[in-house]
Amino acid sequence: MSLKNCYNFKDFRNLAKKKLPSPIFHYIDGGSDDEATLRRNTESFNECDLVPNVLANVGKPDLTTTLFGRKIDMPIFLSPAAMQRLYHVDGDKASARAAEKFGTFYSMSSMSNNSIEEIANISGGPKLFQLYVHKDKSITDDLIDRSRRSGFDAMCLTVDTLVAGNREKDHKTGFTTPPKLTLKSLMSFAMRPNWVFNYLTGKKFELSNVKKKTDKGTNIAKSVIEYINEQYDPLMGWKDAEYCAKKWNGPFALKGVMSVEDAKKAVDIGCTAIMISNHGGRQLDGSRSPFDQVKAISDAVGDKLEIILDGGIRRGTHVLKALAAGAKACSFGKMFLFSLAAGGQQGVEHLLKNMHDEIYRNMVLMGCKSLKELNSSKLIYRK
Amino acid sequence: MILRLKDCHNFADFRKLAKLKLPSPIFHYIDGAADDEITYARNTSAFDDVDLVPNVLRGVEDVDLSTTIFGKKLDLPFYLSPTALQRLFHYDGERAVGKAAKKFNTMFGVSALATVSVEEISSMIDTPKMFQFYFHKDRGLNDSCLERAKAAKFDVMALTVDTITGGNRERDLRTGFTSPPKLTLASLFSFATKPMWGINYLTKGKFELPHLQDFVKEGTDVNSSIGNYFSTMLDQSMNWKDAENLCSKWGGHFALKGVMSVEDAKRAADIGCTGIMVSNHGGRQLDGSRAPFDQLAEIVDAVGDKLDVICEGGIHRGTHMLKALSLGAKACSGGRLYLYALAAGGQAGVERALEKYKAELVRDMKLMGCTKISDLSRNNLRFRT
Repeated sequence: MSLKNCYNFKDFRNLAKKKLPSPIFHYIDGGSDDEATLRRNTESFNECDLVPNVLANVGKPDLTTTLFGRKIDMPIFLSPAAMQRLYHVDGDKASARAAEKFGTFYSMSSMSNNSIEEIANISGGPKLFQLYVHKDKSITDDLIDRSRRSGFDAMCLTVDTLVAGNREKDHKTGFTTPPKLTLKSLMSFAMRPNWVFNYLTGKKFELSNVKKKTDKGTNIAKSVIEYINEQYDPLMGWKDAEYCAKKWNGPFALKGVMSVEDAKKAVDIGCTAIMISNHGGRQLDGSRSPFDQVKAISDAVGDKLEIILDGGIRRGTHVLKALAAGAKACSFGKMFLFSLAAGGQQGVEHLLKNMHDEIYRNMVLMGCKSLKELNSSKLIYRK
Repeated sequence: MILRLKDCHNFADFRKLAKLKLPSPIFHYIDGAADDEITYARNTSAFDDVDLVPNVLRGVEDVDLSTTIFGKKLDLPFYLSPTALQRLFHYDGERAVGKAAKKFNTMFGVSALATVSVEEISSMIDTPKMFQFYFHKDRGLNDSCLERAKAAKFDVMALTVDTITGGNRERDLRTGFTSPPKLTLASLFSFATKPMWGINYLTKGKFELPHLQDFVKEGTDVNSSIGNYFSTMLDQSMNWKDAENLCSKWGGHFALKGVMSVEDAKRAADIGCTGIMVSNHGGRQLDGSRAPFDQLAEIVDAVGDKLDVICEGGIHRGTHMLKALSLGAKACSGGRLYLYALAAGGQAGVERALEKYKAELVRDMKLMGCTKISDLSRNNLRFRT
């Protein structure tokens, strides 16, 4: 199997599985507890069907939209994802360049292995910075200031990781950052010599954005779970979110909002967007899927906030359904991380091309000329 | 591959380790259920028909999991259901489970078919205890059970009402499970391949049913399947009048275990019960019957202000408990929830299981944006349609 044989999510996932040591593959692939929410995130799209209109003089459908004040070429973008250098030696550089090429947002995690400045230097494309509120408030302030100086377009604050989810696959594989060799994982690393060679000969693994403030995750092998529980402030409340929004003073989203009530509060504190997300099924198992919840949220605040659906997206038709149900755009993590692992920048570009073509083709099949035409009349829910 | 207790992170892991350690008739006695086991499977899958909707940014550093049921404050919103024959699963049996329950300050349910006496348990643990009662044909036995539980200062009496006859547990028919265990040609191999279990069973004290053996020989001197025991020893004429008499004779917190209909829940309140355990006996009795979680809302709506409603059955996860508590259950309980862990590692096993569930609950409460059990409500649930 090679990159050119990758036509869909499964193909990228299979190729990534081949290339990555198993603790690293499973860190991407796993969800929390029984992974019921992880599965539901995608399955929920199957509970409704698209209803096309024919003979609509479609011509060339327009896939552009605006998000966070930037015009983007298609209604999808790359979700922030931590530690991309574990998946490919080029890490965030690869995803940032691929996103720029396709005219859409790249997102940088607080836990990126590249620095804010480094990425700003290589990409003029739309950029979103993802923030965690650390117990040490000077870390939070520093990240906001640097993102502004480096010309990031928007900021999102993750609100669903007050405590780390129970990712049992990581217990079993012994996944830590930086990767630690255990007897159990040794075989798996040994069988992926290319990955190990690149990992050891490339730039040193570090959490570039926070390394000056804490050596956790850079010099000390920590499981991500321990890192989250130690570094993030469990007392984070609406006041903290409001503080960040005001300090940033630009397009600002909360990532991980699921209830209508919270979506309304997001409006009140000055957010311009929310990302409806359960962290890809990696936090609270048994929680509702973004697609199940998007309509209720859009009905309540769709005229006041840009609504982004994050989680479970595998196909162009999923994007169409999400938009028809009220989302402005969709984002995904797992899918592009597999493509990154499968082929670096080229892999992500291949994925974005596939998704673009799927959305384009499906728009034609739906009889829609622009994204605005996707509304609830295009969906019928199965009972 | 799960070979040690420290490899066990969840219900499924404990189950695998129990399977490794127990002779197969005994494992399948725990693991099996009635007929086609449809109700057994539904008890857990029912939780998947509803999703949790968290609220964010609420500042959730400290989580209080305590709840009060039957007048007793428990540190956890779940407890250990009464289950029979625990010394077959681990030689310490009820001693191990009771000590673990005490350590976590939650309620320990002791079965009439327990293999350690109420007196011994009471001398061992001072934390909340429930005695589970079967209504036998032999009234002398019934009176003796009630008096002994009272004298041993048990806090709650639970009358099981869903075992008027034995469920059709086909795995037990195939493996030939009886109490006490009987060696058959079919089971010989399985016992022979688990020598540690055999050695412990034979050397760690005689197998007894201390609450019953002065009255009946079945289960101790005479091999009996559990289905057969229920069918021949229990009084099939038991009715609401009998339950009411037992309730007033007990004179303390009294629950019916195995109530499923709203109508019966209301009658339970009328006869003076202080709680009910909504349960289908872990899917081991009437296959095709409704899951406790599916039935919970109706029952809570009807009697939630009068009775402590307990959701029993199918619980494998902290999030399952959160869903039941959000619907209005006062607490949850389970049998397999700790029995696999008991088989996997005795007291240490049960403690590890309780620690895991507790950690799940704390984490899940934080992710829900809740700091105490009363923060949970139907507002944070959405049923899929």
